[in-house]
Amino acid sequence: MNFFEIVAQLAQGLVSTVVVTLVCSGTGMGVGLTVAGLRRMGYAHLVPLLDGFTYIFRGVPVLVLLFLVYFGLPSVGIKVGPLLAMALSLGLIAGAYLAEVFRGALDSVEASEILAAEAMGMSRLQILTSIEFPQMLRLAVPGMINEFTSILKYSPFAYTVGIAEITKQAMTLTATTLRGIEIYIAVGVLYFLIYRILLAGVHFLEKRYQVPGLGTT
Amino acid sequence: MALIQIRNLVKKFGTHTVLDGVNFDLQKGEMKVVMGPSGCGKSTLLRCINRLVEPTSGTILVRDQDIMGPEVDVRALRQSIGFVFQQFALYRHLTVLGNVVLGLRKLRGMSRAEAEAQALFQLNHLEMADHRDKYPSQISGGQKQRVAIARALAMDPAVVVFDEPTSALDPVMVREVAELFNRLNQEGVTLLCVTHDLALASQIAKRVIFLDQGVIRADDTLENLAKHHPNAQVRAFFGDKEAQS
Amino acid sequence: MNGWSGFQRDLLEQMPLILAGLRQTLQLTVIISVTGLLFGLVVFYFSNSPYRWVRSLIQGYISFFIGTPLIVLLFLMYYGLPQWGLKLSPFLVAVIGFTMNVAAYNAAYLTTARNGLDPSEIESARAQGFGRGQIFRWITLPQVLRLSVPALTNQCIGNLKDSSVAFLIQYTEFFARIQELAATNFQFFKAYLLAAVVYLGLVSILVLMARQVEKWTRLPGLGR
Repeated sequence: MNFFEIVAQLAQGLVSTVVVTLVCSGTGMGVGLTVAGLRRMGYAHLVPLLDGFTYIFRGVPVLVLLFLVYFGLPSVGIKVGPLLAMALSLGLIAGAYLAEVFRGALDSVEASEILAAEAMGMSRLQILTSIEFPQMLRLAVPGMINEFTSILKYSPFAYTVGIAEITKQAMTLTATTLRGIEIYIAVGVLYFLIYRILLAGVHFLEKRYQVPGLGTT
Repeated sequence: MALIQIRNLVKKFGTHTVLDGVNFDLQKGEMKVVMGPSGCGKSTLLRCINRLVEPTSGTILVRDQDIMGPEVDVRALRQSIGFVFQQFALYRHLTVLGNVVLGLRKLRGMSRAEAEAQALFQLNHLEMADHRDKYPSQISGGQKQRVAIARALAMDPAVVVFDEPTSALDPVMVREVAELFNRLNQEGVTLLCVTHDLALASQIAKRVIFLDQGVIRADDTLENLAKHHPNAQVRAFFGDKEAQS
Repeated sequence: MNGWSGFQRDLLEQMPLILAGLRQTLQLTVIISVTGLLFGLVVFYFSNSPYRWVRSLIQGYISFFIGTPLIVLLFLMYYGLPQWGLKLSPFLVAVIGFTMNVAAYNAAYLTTARNGLDPSEIESARAQGFGRGQIFRWITLPQVLRLSVPALTNQCIGNLKDSSVAFLIQYTEFFARIQELAATNFQFFKAYLLAAVVYLGLVSILVLMARQVEKWTRLPGLGR
C-alpha cells in the first residue's frame, strides 16, 4: 500500500482521537471552571480541598492515573469504561491545570468592576458568571490552547485501554506491514495537522468573541 | 586633521531618505552639539559613525581611516567610539561595577583585577564608585547616565557620543549634566552630542549644528541661529518668539 | 480489604526490582533534563540566526515537536527504525526522543523570555563592539536563563512524570516494575495507588528544589 492508503487506514482512528480529545477537554473545562469558580467565591473551608485537588492532579503522571482508574477501580468494585477512564484521568488532570490558568486570569479582572456589580445588587454567583468568567475566558486563551494541545498529545494513551484511535491503528498496521517508519511519520503529520486545525479553531473563536481593550490584543 | 570627517553621507531606508548629503567635521578635543527637530536624522547620523546603521553612500573617516571598506574591523571601530544611549541601556543583570568591567574583560582581555581597578577608577571619576554593587534597577536616571559614561570611558575611546542625553532625565538635571559634560571636555574628552534640548545646548556649546530633514542647514552660535538666521523655521526652533507665532 | 498482607509480601519480595526501576526513572529524568536543556540552548541560539533558512528550520523544528505527541516519536524510533535495520535500545530511544521533544519546549520558553528583553541593551553591546556570540553569552543568555527558571524547572517536573511513558517502549523503569507487581497478585488498585503516591512524593521534592533555584537566581530589577 502506498502512503495515501496508509493515511486512509490511519484516519479510521481519527474519529476516536477527536472524540477522546473533545471529551477530555470538555471534562477539563468543566472541572477547571468549577474549581476556579469555587475558589474565587471564597469559601474558606473549601480552599484547602481545592488546593489539594490541584496539587495531586498536577503531580501524578497521566498514564499512572489512567491505569489506576481503568485497571485499579474494578478491583475495588467500580467498573469503568474506556472513555470514562480517559475523562477521569486525562480530563481531571487537565481540569487541575486549567484551574490554575483560570486562577491567574481571574486575578487580572479589575476589582473595581466587581465592586460596581456588587453595588448594583448582583449576587456573588451572578458576578462570577456575568462579569468575571467572560473576561477570564478571553484572558485565559493562551493557557487554554496550551492545555488542549497537551490533551491531544496525551490522547494516544487511550490505546492502552482499548480505544481504537490513531496510534492503535498505527500499531496494528506496523505489525502487519512492517513499514513502521512511513506509518509513524504519517501519524506524526496527522497529529500535527489536527493540532493546526485546533489552533485555527481557537483563534477563530478568539477573534469572534474579541473585545477591544481586553486580553491578548 | 579632523578626528571624524563625514562627506556626503546619505542614508535611505527603502524609499525614505533620512540623511541627504551630510558634511561634518569633529576635531579632537572638541565638544560639538547637533540639534534638530524629531525625525531629522540625528540619531541615524550617530549610528552611521559606528556602523550600527550602514550608510547608503558617502565617506566617513575616523582617525583618517575610511570606515566604510569591507576589510574594516567594525568591532574595533566600535570599541574606539563610546556610545551613550538615550535610556542608557545598562545591562540589568550586572552590577554597576559589572557593567563597566564587562567590556574590559571580554573585549580587551584584561584580568579580573586589572579590569576592576580600571573600572573603579572611572566610576570614582564620575562619583559612582560607592554604588558599585548596586543593580541598574536600584539607581536613579542621573546615576545610570554616569555609569553609562564610565562604561564608555573605560574603553578609552577616541570620542564619546551622546544620543539625547537629557530626554530620560528630569528637567532639573540639565544643569548637572551640562557641568559634567564641560568637565569631561576640559579633561580632554572629545564629545559629540545630539539633542533637542536647548537648555543643555546653551550650557555646553557656543556653536551648534542644525540638522533638518537630513541636511545640515546651519552651523552657528545659538544666538545667531535664533535671531539672524534667514530661515524662519530655524529661528523658531532656536527660540525666536516672533518666528514661532 | 483482603489481600493486604499478600500485597505487602509481594511488594517486599519485589522491592529490589522496584527500587532498581525507581533508579532508572530518576536516571532517565536527570539525563533528559540535562540534554534537553543543552540541546534547547543550541536550538535557541540558532533561532536568532542572521540566515533566514536557519531561522525557518528552527521554527519548523520547534513547531513540529511541540505539536506532535511524544509517544509517536518514541514509537517511530522503537518500532519503525528496525525497518532500516537500526534496532536501538529502549533507553537510547527514550533519551533521543525525549531530548528532541524537551529541547523544543525549552527553546520556546527561552524565546518567550528573549522577547521580553530590552533591545537597547543588545544595541548597546553592539555599540561597545561585542560580537554576536559574545552578546549571546554575556548579555542575552544570563538574563534569559534567569527569566525562564520557573518554566525550565516546571519542564523538569514534567520530564519526571512523562518518564512513565518509556514503559510503553519496554524500558524497565519504575512504572514498568509496578506493572509487574500488579500482575503477580492482581492487586491493581493498590499497586497503582502506590505508584501515584511515589510520583507525587518525587514531584514534591522537585517542587521544593525548584523554589530554591528560583531564590538563588533572583536579581533585583530582572523580571520577577
